[in-house]
Amino acid sequence: MNTGFKIDCIGYGLFAAFVLLVMPWMVDFSGYELNSYARYLALGMVAAALALSWGTAGILNLGQALTFGVGAYIMAMHLKLRASESLPGGMPDFMGWTNVEALPWFWQPFHSLLFTLGAGVLIPVGIACLLGVFMFRGRITGVFVAIITLSLMLAVQLWIISEQRFTGGENGITGLAPLNLFGWSVDTYELSFYYLVAGCLLAGLAVGLGLVRSKAGLVLRAIKADPERVRFFGYDVARYETLAFATSAGIAGVAGMLYALVLEFASPTYMGLSISLAIVIWAAVGGRESMVAAALGGIGVNMAEGRLSDLFFDQWTLMLGVIFIAVVLFLPRGIYGLVATARDYLEARYTERVAMALNREQDDAARPVADRGEVK
Amino acid sequence: MEAWVNEIFIGISLASILLMVAIGLAIIYGTMGVINLAHGQFVMLGAYGAWLLQTQYGVSIVVSLPVVFLVVGLVGFVVERTIIQRLYHRPLDTILATWGIGIVLEQLVRNVFGSSSRYVARPEFLEGGYIILGAHASSYRLFIIFFSLGMLAATWYLLFRTEFGTKLRSVIQNTEISECYGISAKRVYALTFAYGAGLAGIAGALITPLVSVTPTMGTSLVVDAFLVVIVGGVGSLVGTAASALMIGEATAWLSYVLNDTTGRILILLGVIVLIRFRPQGLFPDTVRR
Repeated sequence: MNTGFKIDCIGYGLFAAFVLLVMPWMVDFSGYELNSYARYLALGMVAAALALSWGTAGILNLGQALTFGVGAYIMAMHLKLRASESLPGGMPDFMGWTNVEALPWFWQPFHSLLFTLGAGVLIPVGIACLLGVFMFRGRITGVFVAIITLSLMLAVQLWIISEQRFTGGENGITGLAPLNLFGWSVDTYELSFYYLVAGCLLAGLAVGLGLVRSKAGLVLRAIKADPERVRFFGYDVARYETLAFATSAGIAGVAGMLYALVLEFASPTYMGLSISLAIVIWAAVGGRESMVAAALGGIGVNMAEGRLSDLFFDQWTLMLGVIFIAVVLFLPRGIYGLVATARDYLEARYTERVAMALNREQDDAARPVADRGEVK
Repeated sequence: MEAWVNEIFIGISLASILLMVAIGLAIIYGTMGVINLAHGQFVMLGAYGAWLLQTQYGVSIVVSLPVVFLVVGLVGFVVERTIIQRLYHRPLDTILATWGIGIVLEQLVRNVFGSSSRYVARPEFLEGGYIILGAHASSYRLFIIFFSLGMLAATWYLLFRTEFGTKLRSVIQNTEISECYGISAKRVYALTFAYGAGLAGIAGALITPLVSVTPTMGTSLVVDAFLVVIVGGVGSLVGTAASALMIGEATAWLSYVLNDTTGRILILLGVIVLIRFRPQGLFPDTVRR
């Protein structure tokens, strides 16, 4: 067990305690606010997903909201079918308005809960694998990755808006039934739902941390530092990059599903430019190098937004912009960087003192017994 | 025949708008490697400048251009001096910082002018239009086409025929040695950024009669302009012009044959494929790096 892993475990444990105990305790384990808190957790999860590809492998994904939005739509499709069971043909209402004859084939499988849950993870992963192979085989890096991911997200968003007959268009998919999870009817305002979201978040983080601290994670961090050198060692850089990219997409897909559950609708804005850059902001504020820190960044910024936008209305946007510029300028590693620097400093002080103490002991041992002051 | 010419003209007209917005961005990205996501907000500032001058003082757009250029350029100068200057060694972080700047500028404008959309009238002498080869061409769009080419020529002149351009190119090639010869790299960068921002302001002022002026107008523009710059090739003015023309024409034709949305989706996918197989752009600058 190396130090990095130990520190990860401590951070993860503290984070789990914060999410499972402190946050619900802040609202007395009940009430309307739990729903908002669950929303913050879902957003924290997508920030953590971005940190996995950005902070670990150096892949700046400006289209992270694509996989997030796909997850949200998948969940919404299932719930919409549930809500439309009594309608003619079991078709969603917006299809009826636009004269769709029968439920399209790609909607059919979403009747099944198991398929939906699987698809919510696997379809984002599949998209990311295809895109990852496409990009990384061509050794695309840096800003070009950012532009490609961004363009693809905008293309998909436009497609969803334009195919109103099948996707609900600009309005998205609204009027959803509550999720029935193997006989448990999920109420999004209850504590149990909050714990469901928290559980998913912690599981996603565990998967991510497992990857980061595995051998593949070591290779990924090496790729971030110098891809060329890793390639010379014989590693298939593209494969590792795709792995990080796809894992991140899977986590984002789950976050998207949870987000659709919390808000009870899916909208094309979920995969828009603003939310995508907001995800980058959250991860950067928390600290892109650590998934836990990025998740905290997502939760923290959104919680602050919830509180402060009531106080300052639109001016909150202004404050967010200023805070963000300040973080980029003065805390390039985010709040995590601040903590890490403090930790390194304390560690250095500690080793120094241990070394000094050892020296003194050795000096003492070297001197004749009669010279030792403490001998009585 | 007429429809053909019409579509070609619409394409050129779209291309000229893209070119105007993209030149400033291309200069900033090509010379400093800064990915300026606040560029769209500089365009928006220019648009509001033109609107303000017209509604408050009755100044025509064409007359307001020098003022807008100077004011938005000044904003760019201040932004460079306070923020961008500290980020030259971390180019990817400029994406984040400039996005933050964009948020701030957008919200400031919303605070001052509100979020309702504004309209600006085109100058009187550019009302009406001509019939060219059977297609209708409005004089204002023709004016923009020629003006964008003028901006391109002026930028080329600045870069390759003035002392400032020589200094800038030498700083790009080797900062340390240029500084040994007494060129202040900081000053050159700041002025270049200001020039790019000023161009964005002019672009914003000129497109006001064609689009509605809102605080959020910048965001979609910056994405399009970025695609143009990347497709054209970093630091290549010819490339930027060629890719603006290509994307403009493609947009016009695809929207004509299919529809607006499908056209845009295809353009985005086309850009993705192009970047994948030619990340250096259509006309890579062989001198740099």
